[in-house]
Amino acid sequence: MSDFVTYASLVEGDDFLNPPVPFEVNQNVVDWYINATNDTTAELQEVDPQGDRIAPPMLAAVYVIDALRTRVGPPGGIHAKQRFKLHRPAKIGEKLYTSANVLKLYERKGRNYVEMTTETKNQTGELITSGLITRIWGKE
Amino acid sequence: MSSTNELEQFNGFSVGDDLPQLLEKVDQSMIDAYADASGDVNPLHVDPEFAKTTIFGGTIAHGLLTLAFVSRVLSAWNWQGWAYGGELDIVFLGPVRPGDTVRVCAKIDAIEQREDSVYARCSLACYCGEKAVVKGTVISKI
Repeated sequence: MSDFVTYASLVEGDDFLNPPVPFEVNQNVVDWYINATNDTTAELQEVDPQGDRIAPPMLAAVYVIDALRTRVGPPGGIHAKQRFKLHRPAKIGEKLYTSANVLKLYERKGRNYVEMTTETKNQTGELITSGLITRIWGKE
Repeated sequence: MSSTNELEQFNGFSVGDDLPQLLEKVDQSMIDAYADASGDVNPLHVDPEFAKTTIFGGTIAHGLLTLAFVSRVLSAWNWQGWAYGGELDIVFLGPVRPGDTVRVCAKIDAIEQREDSVYARCSLACYCGEKAVVKGTVISKI
């Protein structure tokens, strides 16, 4: 049985993640990421004026891909391009919700490309990260 | 459409400035740690036996691990401007393999006065040896 999302089932303009996928930013997630990436940025060890600890900006790569991984294409797909706009870093304790929309579908050199816009907001609807991901869809 | 006005320098930043370079050696334990941290346990990254059967002939690092190194460079260079309004637009050009050392290089190509703030637009390239593995643009408020 295959649970893969087929290229043929994708439609430009469709929501790819509905409802948006939640992600909890907790201390463990942030510590694992900081350790795995050798990130020694001083600001990540501090508490901000509001008493919050913040996550590395590029944790975006984790919570966005984590959300997209809930609906995957066939094996062999390739992450070709990535855009991110970092509106602000996520904070430990926030719950994030990532949505995605199919922007463009096209074929080049026999490969199927999928462009999706993504938006990640926190539990109050504040925009944290927006992006555009281009994937080469795996062969079915 | 928002208007931009290009400047040669602003706030101590000048067109042509290099950002501090970063060198980071990647090994399998780092790839495994990133897989654990991100939840992306694709066998192409963490299973050497499986990865041998793919076109790569061995495990490769997550492309997004390389972007974590890019973010470290931008964070160290200009934390506030990167974390609160930074932008990245890149293409993945090739794999990073265990044992590779990734070199992150960036340079200010333009300083843009936009309606809300002033931004440095930087060309970005990440190399393993002489081979580019990531290329693109990063933008930071300055």
